[in-house]
Amino acid sequence: MDFGWTEEQRLWRRAVRDFAQNEIAPRVREIDEEEFIPREIVAGMADVGLLAPTVGEEYGGAGADWMMATIAAEELGRADISLAVPVLYLVEAAWGFIFYRYGSSGLKQEYLPRVTRGEAFLGIATTEPGGGSDILGACRTRGQRDGDRWVFNGEKVYISGVRESLDWGGIHLMLARTDPDEDAGHRAFTFFALPLKGTGGVIPTYFDDMGRMGISTGGFALDEVRLPLEHQVGELNKGFYHAMEGFSAARTLIGATCVGASEAALAMGMDQIKLREAFGRPIASFEGVQFPLANLYTDLEGVRLSTYKAAWLMDQMYRHGAATHHDIALAAAMAKLKAPRLGFSIMNEVADWHGAMAYTKECPIEMGIRGIRSYSIGAEGTPNVMRMIIARELLGKDFLPTLYTNKS
Amino acid sequence: MHIVVCTKYTPDSEAKMSVDEEGNISWGDSPLIINPWDEYSVEEALLLRDQHGGTVTVLSVGPEAALEALKHAVAMGADEAVRVWDEACAGSDTLATSYVLAKAVEKMGDVDLVLCGKSTIDAQTWQTGVALATRLGWPSLMYTINLVELRSEERSITVERLLEEGRQVVEAPLPAVLGTTKGINEPRYTSFIGIRKAAQMEYPLWTLEDIGAEREKVGPQGSGVRWPEVFEPPAREGEAEIIEAETIEEKARILTEMLLAEKVI
Amino acid sequence: MNKDILVWVEQFEGEASAASWEAVGVARQLADEGSGGVLACVLGGDGLKDLAEEAVAYGADRVLWAADPTLADFRVEPYATVLQHTVREHEPGTILMAATFRGREIGPALAVRLETGCIADCTELYFENGQLMATRPIYAGKLVSRCLIPERRPQVVTTRVRAFPKPEPDLGREGELVELSVLMAEDEIAVKVTGFEESEGGVSLADAGVIVSGGRGVAGPEGYEPLRELAQILNGAIGASRAAVDAGWIPYEHQVGQTGKTVSPDLYIACGISGAIQHLAGMRTSTVIVAVNKDPEAPIFKIADYGIVADLFDAVPALRDALREKLE
Repeated sequence: MDFGWTEEQRLWRRAVRDFAQNEIAPRVREIDEEEFIPREIVAGMADVGLLAPTVGEEYGGAGADWMMATIAAEELGRADISLAVPVLYLVEAAWGFIFYRYGSSGLKQEYLPRVTRGEAFLGIATTEPGGGSDILGACRTRGQRDGDRWVFNGEKVYISGVRESLDWGGIHLMLARTDPDEDAGHRAFTFFALPLKGTGGVIPTYFDDMGRMGISTGGFALDEVRLPLEHQVGELNKGFYHAMEGFSAARTLIGATCVGASEAALAMGMDQIKLREAFGRPIASFEGVQFPLANLYTDLEGVRLSTYKAAWLMDQMYRHGAATHHDIALAAAMAKLKAPRLGFSIMNEVADWHGAMAYTKECPIEMGIRGIRSYSIGAEGTPNVMRMIIARELLGKDFLPTLYTNKS
Repeated sequence: MHIVVCTKYTPDSEAKMSVDEEGNISWGDSPLIINPWDEYSVEEALLLRDQHGGTVTVLSVGPEAALEALKHAVAMGADEAVRVWDEACAGSDTLATSYVLAKAVEKMGDVDLVLCGKSTIDAQTWQTGVALATRLGWPSLMYTINLVELRSEERSITVERLLEEGRQVVEAPLPAVLGTTKGINEPRYTSFIGIRKAAQMEYPLWTLEDIGAEREKVGPQGSGVRWPEVFEPPAREGEAEIIEAETIEEKARILTEMLLAEKVI
Repeated sequence: MNKDILVWVEQFEGEASAASWEAVGVARQLADEGSGGVLACVLGGDGLKDLAEEAVAYGADRVLWAADPTLADFRVEPYATVLQHTVREHEPGTILMAATFRGREIGPALAVRLETGCIADCTELYFENGQLMATRPIYAGKLVSRCLIPERRPQVVTTRVRAFPKPEPDLGREGELVELSVLMAEDEIAVKVTGFEESEGGVSLADAGVIVSGGRGVAGPEGYEPLRELAQILNGAIGASRAAVDAGWIPYEHQVGQTGKTVSPDLYIACGISGAIQHLAGMRTSTVIVAVNKDPEAPIFKIADYGIVADLFDAVPALRDALREKLE
């Protein structure tokens, strides 16, 4: 057991904090209002190595391990509590890794160097109008082989980065049903790299989000969309498993992002309660203020540790073969279950400390509240799905709710 | 081109500084960082290297904490890093430190240009760069805000440097010592790849013997200045001193006197 | 070495910098205490006669001057060489100069040539048991250091600009003018000055030692005019509160506070700023804070060091005039 950081980790945290606090933090309100991340921030992230850092150096990535990737997520969350920049970061870090691991070399050569330079976007598209977390039930988009092409029909919704992908170019990893047999279970889906820009038959839509305004949310309908075979990512009908791998990675980074944003909110709150006076004393001196602070800080430290444990387990598996997908799924689900909800509670508490000002845009906390709600609703899995995963790892597959639903 | 950048570690500029009863300076739990002024020098050196080829070596005289500054410079992109230290160097003023730096630069032998930051944010003497130039007998180009041109084949350099009244345009032969100042460039952030290199690199330690420095020329015996006492400036009252007088002109005069006494104007 | 104090008086186009007269002033005071004389050294291209006489008026007993084309532009090599030679010949125990760009370059260069110490940027100088003691701010003024040069002579000291009062010139004072021989020929000097570009005002917030900041109380874009005049005298920059920026009175680059810039100047003058926590977050580490506000209850007075309760349109011009009288 060692709670210390390596030299590389320590320097990396400092580097990301330095960049994020100087270049991102002062512009969060602007990002929220203008509804996009300025190009110079994206370019700066590329220089620091914050775009898909988990991709290997041969494709312009940094070959970062998950501890390093998680440290960056925490620092970006700390700098941008609206979570727009962290979303850009973590989607690319998690799904860029899956593409790097399973994509065809030609396509990787075409896209990854541009993604790591900030000249193309890389996203994930699994959710459909019928749902997201229940892939088996909700993924209706069909992929059919037609000679040397795959042909797609269907619709994806609530997808991050649709506008970015159309503006900059890039790909979304899209999950499609490739085996129509309902009995095929999880072995019916395959991932494909779908360039939204310039692909015929892709009809984009946009949603007006409540928060994290700097990164777009949209969707697209697929009408006889044709892609060459090399756009298949990973094995045929193994997409579900690749998705689970990506979800574990993304959930870990979401945990860290929410922890970082929560730490920033608490720091802001502590500044406030030390300065703010009521009844002739700083409000920090009231039990009604300091006890919730103590509770929330304690909870946050717990979530932070479990998040970093998830990252550590991922490195144990990918680098040393010393952990399994089950270990990772459990750890990542716990981080994802707790961090966004706790972050939301912390931000609400911090808002209370600020009084009426917190309800105005003078105070940044409202951007945090709007932003973090995204991850406590869903995005890479709802809280109840996290609970199902945790229970599955504890009780075994025999008690999976889906087993009973599907039987009835 | 062989470019040397002199650098030093300092407490973070945000650090809350204090002095304990024994007179030891403390910066609480603030991190040690590269002296912020030195980042401009590192950046300028990297730009010159990219333009003219060659090597950038960062050099620091200091105890192990000096590695913080060297690592930051390597993480920005510097090629080599050298630390010079001996316990005898503790308590050196700029007279002694410039001697050690000059000896280290002379040992390297092939140096074309030395870059220094304008000052360090701790002792803020602004002296080391020009003192080093004097030691080496090289031109001193302090407060350079624009490096107009470096002609590597002619071995000369043109810079604009700051004086109170404006910018002086100066030409000098190489080798020279150039002091950078804010505005000369926008220092880059450290990068993931750079950090990996910085964390894994070996940092050679040169002793006084290695650089052929005489012991009596370093530390307190090699220094001119002593600083027996460091203290915290007296704390202020919680509330503003409201200036009272008959007329607004009188209030303004009183305030002016107070500001002059504070030495902030 | 003797008890004389040599002051290098720097000049630009025949005009001495005020900071040099401050150095002459403190040298005069120290020399009187230590029963020595004040030597002023004036170097330049030509036409130094007036300046040399002025140096006497400000307190020099003897003015050592050299006018030569090699000294027309400020350069370390020829300046330090003449000064070094002058020191050898006249053996002053102490050398003073203002801590300007030039002084901060010449001081250490001369000290190394003389193998002695140089105390930079002093804010106080006094004798203690016959030893010259100096105090100087370090760590951006968060700490103060007391320094001395115990053994080596001569000792070199640079004085912080405006830390010492500029003496009143006494036109009746008499002194001796001594011409120095110039030792370097142009072809021995490595550095060539090929141009000069005079600067044209405008200080950025981040660099400014002084910030004059205006809030809701400035009441409109034209309300910044008196603040600009004040800032100009102090070579300061203009800041603003969010309220003023949002009102469109001044561009965002000037905003200080949580959503603007964080600044830490030596002096922050808050005019018509009530002091919302968001604003305080951006400036509360300033060394000295002055608040000008009509409302004596304004929260800004809680963190300010000095306050004037008045309309800023009365107080700011009055302060401008008072400062102009003192500083110019």
